[in-house]
Amino acid sequence: MSTIAPEKYKENASKNIADPVLQKALSGLQERLGPATENLYNSLPEGHKMRTEAHQFRRKAIDNLDVLLSTLVDKVRGHGGIVHFAKTAEEAVEICKKIALDNDVKTVVKGKSMVTEEVGLNLALEKEGIEVYETDLGEYILQLSGEAPTHIVAPAIHKTRREVAELFTEKLGTPYTEDPPILTRYARKALREKFLKADMGISGCNLACAETGHIVTVSNEGNIRMSTTLPKIHVAFMGMERIVANLEEQQSILRLMSMGAAAQEIGGYVSYVGGPAEVDHGDGPQEFHLIIIDNGRSKILADPEFREMLCCIRCGACLNVCPVYGKIGGQAYGSPYCGPVGAVVTPLLFGINNSADLCAGETLCGACKQACPLEINLPRMLLALRSKLSEGDPDWDVQPKSKGENLIFASWQRFNSNRKVYDLLLGLMRVLQHLLPAKQGMISRLPWPLSGWTANRNMKKLAPKTFMQQWREKKEKKGS
Amino acid sequence: MTTQKEFIQDISTALGRPTPVSVDVFTVAPTTAEQDILKAVRQRSSGERQPFIKTLQEVSVPLHLDFHPERSLEDIRQAIITLILEKDPEWGTKKSVVRWDHPLLNSLNLEAAAELKDIPLYITNHVAATSSADDLQAQRQQTRKEVEASFIGITSADYCIAATATLAMKTRPGQARSVSLVPSIHVAVVEESRLLATLKELYTLLKWDEAEQAEGLTNNLSLISGPSKTGDIELVMVHGAHGPRELHLFVVSDHR
Ligand code: SF4
Repeated sequence: MSTIAPEKYKENASKNIADPVLQKALSGLQERLGPATENLYNSLPEGHKMRTEAHQFRRKAIDNLDVLLSTLVDKVRGHGGIVHFAKTAEEAVEICKKIALDNDVKTVVKGKSMVTEEVGLNLALEKEGIEVYETDLGEYILQLSGEAPTHIVAPAIHKTRREVAELFTEKLGTPYTEDPPILTRYARKALREKFLKADMGISGCNLACAETGHIVTVSNEGNIRMSTTLPKIHVAFMGMERIVANLEEQQSILRLMSMGAAAQEIGGYVSYVGGPAEVDHGDGPQEFHLIIIDNGRSKILADPEFREMLCCIRCGACLNVCPVYGKIGGQAYGSPYCGPVGAVVTPLLFGINNSADLCAGETLCGACKQACPLEINLPRMLLALRSKLSEGDPDWDVQPKSKGENLIFASWQRFNSNRKVYDLLLGLMRVLQHLLPAKQGMISRLPWPLSGWTANRNMKKLAPKTFMQQWREKKEKKGS
Repeated sequence: MTTQKEFIQDISTALGRPTPVSVDVFTVAPTTAEQDILKAVRQRSSGERQPFIKTLQEVSVPLHLDFHPERSLEDIRQAIITLILEKDPEWGTKKSVVRWDHPLLNSLNLEAAAELKDIPLYITNHVAATSSADDLQAQRQQTRKEVEASFIGITSADYCIAATATLAMKTRPGQARSVSLVPSIHVAVVEESRLLATLKELYTLLKWDEAEQAEGLTNNLSLISGPSKTGDIELVMVHGAHGPRELHLFVVSDHR
């Protein structure tokens, strides 16, 4: 389960960097998935332009979201489904709770869904005495251990097989084994019982198709199909931006999403759900509810600088290449949305001020944009967030940085643009730097107010000669 | 409670337009490239489909899918009987098998196999829409019980895509979707004429083929590529997470 606490970023990041097990898991994950996804992109039969086009499809959908959602809603109703609209997280939870209570629901099985994490659904249902089971194996492990996810697609990747073994022995009472296939079988057995007795199944929506009126779910385990086939009621939670206009566009986005998420040509199970089971069909849910959620998204939509973020399909590809995520892990971000995508989405959804460290933490190296199947420009938006943090923005409730800091930067700018002053200061620093404590030729501690810079790293000393000086000398030598 | 009108209105406002404007986002006619795909699929000869068999064989290996070489109905029938006899049930010790009510599966005539006389063979029957609510409920419960009890589920598929070994299945009366999901072993029998090259061909048909358009995607269309799997414990790939542990695929030759 994830709670939303991005303000603990620094604290959690330091803890995670010191955790050797997590470090090994993260580097293993990145080494495997990052290059594998890139290989698939490079062998696309449609060529590189497929990704650029897919971005445009998503952008078109977002730019016409009102029309697309209206179409989807009409079609789903035509198929016999019931559609609800939730402006806020609380409203979404209330709607689902009411459906559960009205139908006397005792047991809920859930397919992996980030938006239900975002709105805090599980806790609310449990408060009503309803049993809620996460059924994605990784999510199930975390539910048993009471931990937050490390990765969007592989949430329990930080757990070693030994930890899972101990957890299962303790919580499920199964014989101790460290064999992943046997451990998986234990979970399979435990959850099969839940699937068979559950009276409500909850899923997310990876990407709806407006023209046909279907939501689409993707999984490899088959847990989402189980959750949406066996219980008598299916409730789907959908972030309002998860939609595309038509089938041909969806084809290309779903394929790219599978590549980004798990380096697959296509996810193991892709299901189109348009409504409840028809009367003359032998199985499937009797009721289908679709809850479409805003919860801060229309605000992102209204801001041209950030609208692009709504194109994101939460595939997690950006996590698999990010040097920062690769060290600090998903839990540090204090949000269901972690990694580079989280560094942009979390501030936009849950407040820029208290997520300030998230956008400052990323390096702007650009790896995420290259890895994103839809080429979403996360670095640009990270920069935009940082500029809001320094200059302030009443629309986003951001206070400008302190006067003192602005003053420092203003004078820095002045020195920097005057050659004479700059050279003078440089010469002075070159002498003074020898007074500072050093380790292996690097400055290990700067005095206040610059001490923060060396809290976690050493600083390179200034070179004895500037580049300009070296250049001049070199030229003179050549000339002589 | 937020109404649809309010909800959509907020979005239109955020988009900077007072009301939803009518825009052309839904395509109404196939592009020339799509027309070419449609033509290629429709005119494809049995000979031109043979390379798909080889592709299926190749992609089955990494997907952990059991692609069987038998091509005639008689051989496939025998192979399925052998599977039923040799495989062990995962839950409990009693064996039973469930299958769709589907012409191709009917023609396998497994019910007549003497070897299987002790093994119940259920068929997910059509449910008459005209039945009373109680009857409908009873029939559904019966189907549910039979599917849960069965260790093998046999289905056909609308299409099978060679490049990714993907089975595309719509939901219809008599073709319960749980048959490909709940039993531990899923056996799919597909006619060769249902083979397509790529997902793109599948989507082009679903979108533009008249018969497909008339039927629609139905309320549940599943695309299945290989057996259920997970890598959630230390990224070790394990087959049989929640869905079938094994997926056996048979392609029936055109020349029977
Ligand atoms: S930003 Fe791109 S790579 Fe990251 S989760 Fe979103 S779609 Fe995937």
